[in-house]
Amino acid sequence: MGGAYLAKKLLHAFFTLLFVLAFNFFLFRVLPSDPVSINARSQRLTETDIQEQLENFGLLEPLPTQFVRFLSNTAQGDFGLSFRTGQPVTEAIAARIWPTVLLVGLSTLLSTFFGVLIGIKGAWQRGSAFDNTSLFGSLIFYSMPEGWLGMILILVFVGWLGWFPAGGYTSGTETGFAHIVDVAKHLFLPCLTLTLGYIGEYAIVMRSSLLEVKDEEFVATARAKGVKDTDVRRRHAVPNALLPTLTLVFYSFGFVLGGAIIIEYVFSWPGLGSLTYDAINELDYPLLQAIFLLTSTAVILFNLAADILYVYLDPRVGEN
Amino acid sequence: MKGVRRAIALGVVLWISGGTLMTGTASAQSSEPDQPVIYDLGIDSDVTSLNPWKLCCGWDYEYLELVYDVGITYSQEDLAAAPKIVTSWTPSEDHMSYTLKVRTDAVWQDGEPLTVEDVAFTFNFISKYDMPFFIGYFPFNPTFEVVDEETLIWRADKPMFSPEVPAYSMILPEHIWGQFDTAGDPPADGASKAELDAYEAKLKVGRTAAREFTNEHPIGSGPFLFDEYVKGQYMHFVANPDYWGGAPSVNDPTAIDEIYIRVYGNKEAMTQALKAGELDFADGLTPALFNSLEGVENIETHVADAGTWGDIAFNFGGQSGGKATNHPALQDLVVRQAIAYSIDKQEIVDKVFQGTAAVGDSVLTPGKNGSWYLDIPPELEYSYDPAKANQILDDAGYLDTDGDGVREMPDGTNPLKLEFIAINDVDGSVDTGLLMEGYLHDIGIEMQTTTVDTNKAYEIWGAGEFDALIWDWSPDPDPDFILSVFTTGECGGWSNGCYSNPEYDALYIAQKSALDRDQRAQIVNEAQTLVASDLPEIVLNYWSELQAYRTDTFTGYHPTPNVENGWLMLGYGTPENNYLELRAVTEDAVPAADASSGGLNWGLIAAIVVGGVAVAFVLMRRRGQGEEDEE
Repeated sequence: MGGAYLAKKLLHAFFTLLFVLAFNFFLFRVLPSDPVSINARSQRLTETDIQEQLENFGLLEPLPTQFVRFLSNTAQGDFGLSFRTGQPVTEAIAARIWPTVLLVGLSTLLSTFFGVLIGIKGAWQRGSAFDNTSLFGSLIFYSMPEGWLGMILILVFVGWLGWFPAGGYTSGTETGFAHIVDVAKHLFLPCLTLTLGYIGEYAIVMRSSLLEVKDEEFVATARAKGVKDTDVRRRHAVPNALLPTLTLVFYSFGFVLGGAIIIEYVFSWPGLGSLTYDAINELDYPLLQAIFLLTSTAVILFNLAADILYVYLDPRVGEN
Repeated sequence: MKGVRRAIALGVVLWISGGTLMTGTASAQSSEPDQPVIYDLGIDSDVTSLNPWKLCCGWDYEYLELVYDVGITYSQEDLAAAPKIVTSWTPSEDHMSYTLKVRTDAVWQDGEPLTVEDVAFTFNFISKYDMPFFIGYFPFNPTFEVVDEETLIWRADKPMFSPEVPAYSMILPEHIWGQFDTAGDPPADGASKAELDAYEAKLKVGRTAAREFTNEHPIGSGPFLFDEYVKGQYMHFVANPDYWGGAPSVNDPTAIDEIYIRVYGNKEAMTQALKAGELDFADGLTPALFNSLEGVENIETHVADAGTWGDIAFNFGGQSGGKATNHPALQDLVVRQAIAYSIDKQEIVDKVFQGTAAVGDSVLTPGKNGSWYLDIPPELEYSYDPAKANQILDDAGYLDTDGDGVREMPDGTNPLKLEFIAINDVDGSVDTGLLMEGYLHDIGIEMQTTTVDTNKAYEIWGAGEFDALIWDWSPDPDPDFILSVFTTGECGGWSNGCYSNPEYDALYIAQKSALDRDQRAQIVNEAQTLVASDLPEIVLNYWSELQAYRTDTFTGYHPTPNVENGWLMLGYGTPENNYLELRAVTEDAVPAADASSGGLNWGLIAAIVVGGVAVAFVLMRRRGQGEEDEE
């Protein structure tokens, strides 16, 4: 693989990031309202107050000036203070990263792992009872609104059975090992909801790409050579079928830091998704810019990693 | 067979270890003696900030009152002024000064004594630095003079009622907040413009700094100590054993030791939490959730007067910026009256609020405004009478000359097409709009609804680009603020549509400077009557705050104000009326967090799941091997 290929991909990633930065900056400022006027009525702000706060937030300067200052601050790692709470943005985000990684990371892991396994088995035993059931199930869960699924699970497991808490990350009353158990109890339902919601996606993609590969000549050749069925599957078919799924998996992991807004709302889970939603409602520019930068960077980096990994997985890629 | 045996062995090992650990932890918890009495309250939106200068919304004031004390508070009986840190307030003859007595036994939570200097400092800071929101309680350039360790004189340059409103401001410790008082004394009379500007700039610095202080470890003098705040999750308070007002938790094992105010992103989940025993109290339920709790064992529901009313506000034009698009027909009282006659307020209450609101008349509410509220006499009200609406429009010359079902102005032009703004995050606004379209259609007016969110609505409101808004108002207990909304001077400020009526303006000024409460009440009644008949806005309904609580965990709830539909918790309640009054139902109140486990053995569950997965996996592999054996 050429250093040229790597360099090209890195450069591409870098410029994508720059574009995202600029786009995010202008996107929020193009919206009609501003962070101060939104709260003017509820906070009984006078016109002077409003002007003063706009000035404090640096919003009265011309747009290009604001943009230049934004770029230089970002380069130095200064993401500013949240408009709403005055807290440093990095702190506000840091407090929410672990719950997000825990919830979305774990469910992405589970849904990719089990989804791929189900897809493989379904494709390999196409037409079997397992295949039909899993395909049907995948479609149902994937198309189900996850917020609704979450509420049904709350109704059943909290309302009727009383096995789990109704929301939140922790009840705050435990320490040490009991705290871990407490978080696990709170994590179970949202994680289950997210996992079920997305397991179908990976199962279906894996299944269809394996079905394509299954009918290729080299598979028939392997069989003809007497290779055992599980080995044909495991060492010949699946690795070749894995590539499209791999794109999807890396893409999904990139979005882990975006949080899961709906699930976070249904389960009152304090992740980056609900932070984003609140920040949008308040037009809290510094917070929004930082969160979007974080998510965009993660997605770009994971895609870059996928690109690089491909070259090792598929020698056809990266050749000129 | 080796694989299966291995899986089973693994499962057993996990079961034993996991079960032991988890069961062990669970039993260790339940065998603990002396568990603290914990009160869990559920709410649907988070506190704005730990900084008192930034409080505005949600349950901000709950946090404020638990950790800090206010100078003068709201009485539990009728929301009139009641003593707290300030124990009495005596006006001078001319009402241009009040002598305040301050209690001397209060103590800050860090051990420092709370003195009259702290009170003077707080009030001074607010008026000197023009702190938003609180400045409204301190009008007319007040000064505060400390006379002795328990006396403070509050002077203003005009007669005032301010302390009695009440002047609802927390008292802050000077030894923590004094650092922001950096502007020094104002320049003497006759100072140059440059000096005045420089002073203004210094004030701005102080104000901004005070508001930007993160106040991570709030120190107040209130009945509860701040312990922990996890944003978007909960805030944790612990009873203050040294509270000057008495700390029942010290001697009474059933008094509240700790409070968790928990934020739920979603009301359905909050309701489930109440049912499951994770919460003792839930506030802000939707009508559907509220109704679903009727008859549930150990749960009681309560309808409180939200002190908020839904309304239709007309645009009279004249907003600055010249973009106003108000229809000329609305300037005519007859048209506004006809619209009022065409509305079936009861139907809106039944269909939009599912019966959980009350038909409204005056711009003050019976619950929040108490005795200030005037029940508009029926002969002055516009009851539902579409026939009359049609008739008065016909008589005034608004006829449908071209037969398209829409009336025109008396001169035949400008058909009566009105643009209404409905707001999708204001309760009932959109649904009310749907019903309104029908009502107006029946009297020959075409209504076009534009649905926006609150942010966009503010913009439209400011620019005046509408004919009517379907919005809401929430008055203060004192009528002054809501009455000011209809004055000419509030155009561009709080006025919904720049209504301007010199007769009304005169009434507003008169009530503001009336020195006698009865005299003021009379003027306030006249103002309410004028609004109800001249219709700058039509008050549609009084909203309810739907609350629910468990009866098997705590007892001792009583409403604030002390009427049937007062609020049991939150609202204008203060800790001495609620948290300090509540008692756990049994001696050993179980911390709510335990209730959710439902007595399950988690070790067993976990081991079954893990064991099941392992077994399934192995079986799958076995089957794969079996298939290949068959080939």
